[in-house]
Amino acid sequence: MTVTLNLTHRFDPSVRRHYLNEALSVLHCHHYATLYTQLALDAEDLGGVKNLIEAGADVFGGFLNDYYAKQGITSAADRIDIAQQYWKTVGMGLIDISSSDEKSGKATMEYSHLDEGWLKKWGGIDRPINFFTQGFLVGVFSAVYGKSPDSYEVSETKSLVKGDDISEFTITLK
Amino acid sequence: MAIDREKIIDEMSKIKVVGNDEGLIPALGVYVQQLPADFWNGFATRMIKSIDPELADAVETMLERAAHECGYYTGHGIITSEEWDKVVKPMVEKVPEDILYGAYAVFSAWGWANSEIVELVPGEKMVVRAYNYYEADGAKAAGIVRPFAHMIRGVSAAFMDLAYGDQFPNGLDTFTCEQTKGIECGDEYGEFVVTKK
Repeated sequence: MTVTLNLTHRFDPSVRRHYLNEALSVLHCHHYATLYTQLALDAEDLGGVKNLIEAGADVFGGFLNDYYAKQGITSAADRIDIAQQYWKTVGMGLIDISSSDEKSGKATMEYSHLDEGWLKKWGGIDRPINFFTQGFLVGVFSAVYGKSPDSYEVSETKSLVKGDDISEFTITLK
Repeated sequence: MAIDREKIIDEMSKIKVVGNDEGLIPALGVYVQQLPADFWNGFATRMIKSIDPELADAVETMLERAAHECGYYTGHGIITSEEWDKVVKPMVEKVPEDILYGAYAVFSAWGWANSEIVELVPGEKMVVRAYNYYEADGAKAAGIVRPFAHMIRGVSAAFMDLAYGDQFPNGLDTFTCEQTKGIECGDEYGEFVVTKK
């Protein structure tokens, strides 16, 4: 059975704020996302990449946890389906979490906001840079399998910005 | 002034932003995404809280830089978009001042900050007040009690670059912004003073 993501948008004119399912949300562009990514890389020795991945894991995992609870989404397959729809709906790209269980998983992206944006802004680079999606996947697996966000780690094994035909992510339980 | 701020906010806040079949949102000459404010705040505050305080200025400069560049290109995309032409352009009488006033209405409509220009000296100086902005939430939650609205600072400088700098895309970095007040500091509103570099 297919589940459909139900995202309700609300604008509160009194404070000029947007909400997606009551989570405060903001519009930003690929310049902002790629420059945050570059900042994380420049500050990698200061924890930049780690902080970006952890921020994503906490926030996206938290959003999904809340969604699953409120909507009564209990099966792992449905939860994964909802997560994929979420990433697509908010403009982050087309993600296919092709395999998943509590201990590991694989995901690929044929289209990616971060990679398309990076290529458009700067061209290619010789290393994976999609820390937004790495954090998202940590959040997804922790939410789907009911674990804390620090339970999983993700490696990006193929990357659109490196010239691969897809981006590929491997998720493992620590 | 010909700019009807409330009408612009009403119209521009209704724009639907949803990923296409590729999960992307190409709009205004850029790719757009709509993520929780907590994510952006979470990264900024984690960085500042996790590093040596002596390095905080450098990291905050980078955060502001990201917004400055984003504001320049996205700002240009906004004021050359179909949506702008339809909603704001008919109200524009004085260029570029009305464009700036209109841009801050869009700034508010899109949830970046409930902000408006309170002083504008054409080509020289602009003062913006923000009465509600998500960056203050993040700073407060992290216990940061100093001006912390890097996004508003960067985008405000970028808007002045677009208005009074060299013709796009050569005007970036003409202006700079100083945040003189902040909700995160206990002030009633955030205040941002943009001047020539």
